Amino acid sequence: MSLEIEEFLHTERLPHIWCPGCGNGIVTAAFLRAALDLGLKRESTVVVSGIGCSSRASNYIDLGTVHSIHGRAIAVATGIKMARPNFTVIVLTGDGDGAAIGGNHLIHACRRNIDLTCVLFNNQIYGMTGGQLSPTMEVGGRATTAPHGHVEPPFDLCRLTEAAGASFVARGTAGHIRQLEKLIKKGIAHPGFAFIEAVVPCPTEYGRRNGTANAPRMLDDERTRSISKAKAAGLSRQELAGKIVTGILHEDTTAPEFLQAYTADARAQAEEASAPAAKEQK
Amino acid sequence: MDNRSTSAVLDSVAAMELWHSHLLREKIDQSSLLVQGNRACALGALDAGVRFFAGYPITPSSEIMEAMAYELPRVGGVFVQMEDEIASICACIGASLSGWLGMTATSGPGFSLMQEAIGYAIMVEAPLVIVDVMREGPSTGRVSAPSQGDVMQARWGTHGDHPAIVLAASNVADMYRLTMAAVRFAQRFRTPVTLLADEVVGHMRESFSPELVGRYRLTSGDFDFTPGYVHPDLAREVHPPHILGSEAHPHVTGCTHDETGFPTNDAKKSERFLHELYDKVTNHRDELCLYDVKNEGKGRVCVVAYGSCARSARAAWRLAELEGLPVEVLHLYTLFPLPIEVIQTVARRVEFMLIPELNLGQYAREVRKLAENWTTVISMGKIDGTLITPREILDQVTRLIGKYESV
Repeated sequence: MSLEIEEFLHTERLPHIWCPGCGNGIVTAAFLRAALDLGLKRESTVVVSGIGCSSRASNYIDLGTVHSIHGRAIAVATGIKMARPNFTVIVLTGDGDGAAIGGNHLIHACRRNIDLTCVLFNNQIYGMTGGQLSPTMEVGGRATTAPHGHVEPPFDLCRLTEAAGASFVARGTAGHIRQLEKLIKKGIAHPGFAFIEAVVPCPTEYGRRNGTANAPRMLDDERTRSISKAKAAGLSRQELAGKIVTGILHEDTTAPEFLQAYTADARAQAEEASAPAAKEQK
Repeated sequence: MDNRSTSAVLDSVAAMELWHSHLLREKIDQSSLLVQGNRACALGALDAGVRFFAGYPITPSSEIMEAMAYELPRVGGVFVQMEDEIASICACIGASLSGWLGMTATSGPGFSLMQEAIGYAIMVEAPLVIVDVMREGPSTGRVSAPSQGDVMQARWGTHGDHPAIVLAASNVADMYRLTMAAVRFAQRFRTPVTLLADEVVGHMRESFSPELVGRYRLTSGDFDFTPGYVHPDLAREVHPPHILGSEAHPHVTGCTHDETGFPTNDAKKSERFLHELYDKVTNHRDELCLYDVKNEGKGRVCVVAYGSCARSARAAWRLAELEGLPVEVLHLYTLFPLPIEVIQTVARRVEFMLIPELNLGQYAREVRKLAENWTTVISMGKIDGTLITPREILDQVTRLIGKYESV
């Protein structure tokens, strides 16, 4: 571990609970490096997580941290951001927490375009509860609750969040650490809702049921399957099957941000309230 | 709120009522305002200093949210309509963890959705006010029929052993003053407080005079919204609050945790923590239990009532006086923590305790547990979506006393 990220780590709480070969630590470290590079301050940065393996990250991060309830991290973060608009609020969540039980909050936060950054650790499985299927698991994948192979198609979370109105959408993998770090950094700096999907390997719960129980091989696989947005544009649907499209997939810095719009409106209301006579003259 | 004059309160009421005048179609009269229960609740919240509200529409509570949506931006507050009740209460928790006090309002179905997060708020000691304007259930039930079916949900809705502070409003003035009391209790004990009302209390309009507002107004020392504030007399019982952005940069978790804020698996520490959550509420029963006794010590029958039924009970007592029947009324404004001493004191001196409520005896069971050594507890439940009338209570009283005399 590099010493610099210890600045924002509760080192006394290590070792973490993640299994050997898990990619969650890579993503957490990428986030911490992004936070350091951006010069985020403890007193104005809050990390909110839900429940699940990835959400455990908040237990080790030495910033203001809220380990909330399953699926509701974005809703709690919305309250924090509205109460303290000058805070940098980051949501760390997983595919189960953020896209299954918390899917509704995710799309509505996108729609509002509230200035939060959501880093979703996608390992395609419920690790903490012992390997059940998740909404990002591909057809044919095996889980304790899909013992004969999964028959439902998965979410493409980046397409989903873009369509729902997120103004920054990106995807990275634990196999491309520097790229992921840059994407998270850009996401935090982006004014509006930023969604970053981080594809992470889970050799223990996903891998051993799907013939890939080897962490280095899973990381290698993520690298070989990854493809840039520009390259992906020239490929057909069949050719894209199994590929991971990475990089910034959507960015719109002109989209109105929720709190700015709200504050402007509230200011007008307050002025009107303090000058009732002017209203009557109209 | 401490420096808000009565005229400012009235302006606020008038502004809300004017804005909704197309719905009200009633003349605004400054000397005696006709105010709806739900609006009085919003007004109480604003006067108590609540500046954050997140909600989701549901009959019969929506007017509270509408009033807050109108008022909050005008007074420097924040309002947001969330995507569901779960998100609403979670946003309130987020605000409370940031040093504000979050408030939401709902009805039975929404209240059910909020339960998990209420447990989280109890665990992380986030002050919250939740107003549940009860309607007939279960499920969709009848949306505009009054009910008191959520009493036990308010007490035991979330899982695990936990404390609960539950208040019940019986009229428009109650909606104002008990909302204020709820804010005060939430902030003092750093825990969610539920205010129960039923559809009739929420939707009824009553005159709401300045004198009434003044009489029930709490004093300025009752509210302190300084982030991290703990009342000095509770400093030993209430854990130091987690305030995001403070120098302590805390960790907040719904896991059983110790004084560091981090999860613990230590049996003794977990037990002590859970007991402390309980004790900070139950050790202050005297302060928390609001009640009113009418015709004290003069009844053979005591009608124990709350919410809209308490109004009928009070009217029944007046009718009983005319007919020479010895009736007293115990009107409870606080349902939980249980007013143990109050109920047992009355139980020792009356022959019957009659509990009219718009459910099948949810609170009567609590009263029976406390009172059955001394008196006969009769549950008078009704679930047809109509109110219990004073006459129905009086008939029951007459039957009880008559039966006793004929033996």
